[in-house]
This record gives sequence, structure tokens and C-alpha cells, in this order.
Amino acid sequence: MSHEHDHDDDHEHGHAHEPRDAEAARLALRAEALEALLVERGVVQRESIDAIVARYENEIGPLNGARVVARAWSDAGFKQRLLSDARAAIAELSLPTGDQATPIVVIENTPGVHNVVVCTLCSCYPSSLLGLPPRWYKSPPYRARVVREPRAVLREFGLDLPETTELRVWDSSAELRYMVLPERPPGSESASEQELAALVSRDSLIGVAQAGQRRE
Amino acid sequence: MSEGNPAAQPLAALGAHAPPRKNGELHFDEPWESRVFGLTMSLHEAGAFAWSEFQRELIVSIGAWERAHGATDVGFRYWQRWLEAFERLATRKGLIAPAALDARADELAARPPGWDHQRRDVG
Amino acid sequence: MSAVHDLGGRVGLGRIEREAREPVFHARWEKRVMGMVYSVRRAGWLNIDAFRHGIERMDPARYLAASYYERWLASLERTLPEVGALVPGAAPPPPAPYGFAREVSAPARFALDSRVRVRARSPVGHTRLPGYVSGKCGTVVSVRGGYVFPDTNAHGRGEQPQHLYSVRFTARELWGEGEEPRTSVCVDLFEPYLEAEAAASGAAETRDVA
Repeated sequence: MSHEHDHDDDHEHGHAHEPRDAEAARLALRAEALEALLVERGVVQRESIDAIVARYENEIGPLNGARVVARAWSDAGFKQRLLSDARAAIAELSLPTGDQATPIVVIENTPGVHNVVVCTLCSCYPSSLLGLPPRWYKSPPYRARVVREPRAVLREFGLDLPETTELRVWDSSAELRYMVLPERPPGSESASEQELAALVSRDSLIGVAQAGQRRE
Repeated sequence: MSEGNPAAQPLAALGAHAPPRKNGELHFDEPWESRVFGLTMSLHEAGAFAWSEFQRELIVSIGAWERAHGATDVGFRYWQRWLEAFERLATRKGLIAPAALDARADELAARPPGWDHQRRDVG
Repeated sequence: MSAVHDLGGRVGLGRIEREAREPVFHARWEKRVMGMVYSVRRAGWLNIDAFRHGIERMDPARYLAASYYERWLASLERTLPEVGALVPGAAPPPPAPYGFAREVSAPARFALDSRVRVRARSPVGHTRLPGYVSGKCGTVVSVRGGYVFPDTNAHGRGEQPQHLYSVRFTARELWGEGEEPRTSVCVDLFEPYLEAEAAASGAAETRDVA
């Protein structure tokens, strides 16, 4: 076990390209050749491929959390159950949430109250619902500033809260993981649950954005 | 047009033809998988083909593999089936000539080991 | 003084950088480090508290400059030798029970809506008490039940489960009278970190907090 990781970081970059078997290796080369030819012919640009991969891995990513929110918006009884015992309510949806041990608490945004989540001590994050945390969430500036000047931080994220809105910052200092239930966007009254889920971004589940806003 | 709208999510969320996910997010074991995914979506968004055309090819690929290996064989690799499907579609649409693709793949295979040793990998 | 990882309220750390489109991992080795950490935790070599404490003991300058997975790697480098994981043939300790929630025989000391003060203390070793609430008064907004106590678990002194509370502090309480109203920070705190506000102050006028 101790020698599994005797490659240092730099060597990882060359060897890490090797997929597990010969067939996979052949296909990896084929994929590379495909992209190279199509880019050279001007059919597609590398930047658009980069953008799409990032978008699907990040903005459209937290499908579990988005589905929970969409259900809560559509079903008032589910929403109440979610707010009182999130883990039990989420289990109703049969989501592949992996780790069952971590307690989840869902906190609701209303017209009068806005919530935002941080872990000042490290980077605790509700990964089973939101996937892996974004780099900024784990960074010292966010962790330091959002408890000290949360309204200014939200403004930098493009969210300008009215002064009359109560702002609650939640510091996940123990093992509880917090997820924000954002407000349902106006104009979404006739949307299906699947369409609603598409309106829920990772940022809105952390609390630095409202649902229905696309972050570019 | 909902087909061109990224928010419409043409990807299946569940079922046999859905891409693998971890914690609800798309999951790639290798960088090339994410590249071919991005390539496919990019061309679709640019209007090179309708999503249903790609879906059909994907279903064909998966079906052929399952017939050859059995549906429960754990050797199933979703993104390899995706790549096959995309290659066939791109060929059919005249975006790629098979001979040129083979030649380029051979060229890339001929690179010496460690050719990217100094490159900082992102992916 | 608390260690460099305890960042709540610190100034001068720079702007929040948000990459417009960021990959899930920025380099392949990061994914390998993540895999290693999950493996050693699953095998029983490290509990989460010891792992975090490994990160907290990084050189402060290195900590602030390091990326997230660099911090994980640093913890592995420090803690795996400490627990004997790199000795050939060594076996991990017996696994702990699943999860973090535990029964606590004593009843919860503080009730919902009660006022509490965070004990002013300079902890030695691992703690989950953020420095910015030390000595501050807040309101219990939720009584969460019993959990493994990180302060002992990180150092091999056992789980010693304690009651956990979500305590709300107003911005004015934390940062001064000039702060805006209607802003608060809620922090999850273990019972040993807290005392009743009324009992702590003694004479009514005394608001002397260390």
C-alpha cells in the first residue's frame, strides 16, 4: 500500500495518460485524432469544447441537489419534510447520494431571508448533493470574508440583496452539511420538474446566487 | 429551438443510455472521455446534427456491445461506446474521412513514451 | 492563538478568484490524491479529525499558498508516518462505527433559544471552534444531537461524543456596533465550547470578556 504513490507529482503527468487496457488506449488516441482533425478543419474550436466540458461538469453538475429543489418547489409536503429532516426526505427520491452518514440540513430562502454557506475552518461541503466544491469556495479569501462582510461578497457574485432582507451565513464547523433551498424564480409556475431542476445552479445551492440566473 | 438550448439537457438522466455520474455529476475516468463528450456537444450546438441522430448511433453502439459481451459484463465502458457512435456519425455527415482519421491516430501512436513529460496536464 | 487554517474574519487575504470555467480537477495528480485519501480513511488508518489536524499543522505560509489538494497531500505526508501506515506489514487500527452521530447519555445542557457565550480559550491541538466566535454571545437556534468530539478524536483520545448546537451570532456581536443589522452568522458548536451567558458574566454590568 505504501508504494502505490511513489511517483512524484511531475511524473504523474506523463504516466497518467495511460488508460487501463489496450482497447482504451487505442480509443484514447482515436479521440485525440478526431479532435485534432476537426479543429484543424475549422469545424469546431477547442475553446467551445473546453467550455462545454466545464459547463456540464460544474453548472449543470449538481443534479442531485437540483432535483431535490425541483421536487420541493413542486410539492409542498415534500418541502416541509425536507426542511425538518433532509436526509429522510431526500431518501424518498432514490438519488445515488453515496455517503449516507453525513447529516444534511436544508435551509430555505424566502423573500425576507437569504442564506449563504461556508466552512471557515476547511472546506466542508454537501458533496453528496452538490458534487465537488468549486475552487473559490475552498479558498482563503471566501472563507475569511463571507462571515465578515457577506453582503459585499454577494455583490461581487452579482447578487445585490435589499437592505431589508435578513442575511444568515452558516459556517459548517462540525459535520452537518448545509444546502440552500433557493427561491423559485418568477415565471416558472408552469415548468415541469425537469425544467425546474435545470434552473438550479450550484451557486444558488451555496447561496451566492439566486436560482434561474446563469453565471457566465 | 430546444435542441440547441444547452439548458434543455439532451442527456438522459437515468437508464441504460445515460452517461455515468458520480454524486449526480457527469463522470469521466480519462481526459479523452471529456474531450469527445465536449466535441459531440459542441458540434450538436453548432447545428451539425440533430440530437436524435446521435442518440440513435449511441443506442446502436451500446446494443452491439451488449450482444457481443452480454448486458451485465462489467467491462462495459460508456464513453468508448459514445466515441464509436460519434465517429460513425461524423463519418456519415462527411465531417471526417476514415482514412485521414486512421492516419492521424497512427501518427499519434508513434510518439515516444514521455513525449508529454513536461506538459502540465489539465483534466 | 489559533492556527492559520482558522480563517473566519481574517483580513488581507486578497480577492475571491472565480475561474469562469473551471475543471473539477486542475491536474491529474489531484485526482490521485483524492483517491489516496479516501483509501486510507476507508482502510481505517485516519479518521477525518486526524486528517484535518494534519492539514492544520502545515507551515502557515505554505498553507495559504497551497491549493486544496496540495493541503490534502501535505496531511498524508505528515499523518501517515505518525500512525505507522508506512511501516511494511503494519495493520490499521480497528474501524470506528459508521458515521458521526452518537448517543450522549447526559441530556443537552442548553435549550432552543437560550443565550450562550463561547468560552474564551486558546485551544492546544485540533478543535472545531472558529476563533472569531471566541468569547462571543449568541442564541441557540437548533439542538442537533450527539456527535463524535473532534478535539479528542483527532489525537487518539477517543470519540467522547458531545451535544452539538447551531448558535447564531449577530454581525454586531461579532464585529462591533457599527455593523449592519439583519446580518448574522450561525456556527455549529460543541457543548464543551459553550457556557450559559447569564452564569458567565456574574454581576449584571460586567461584560468583561477575555
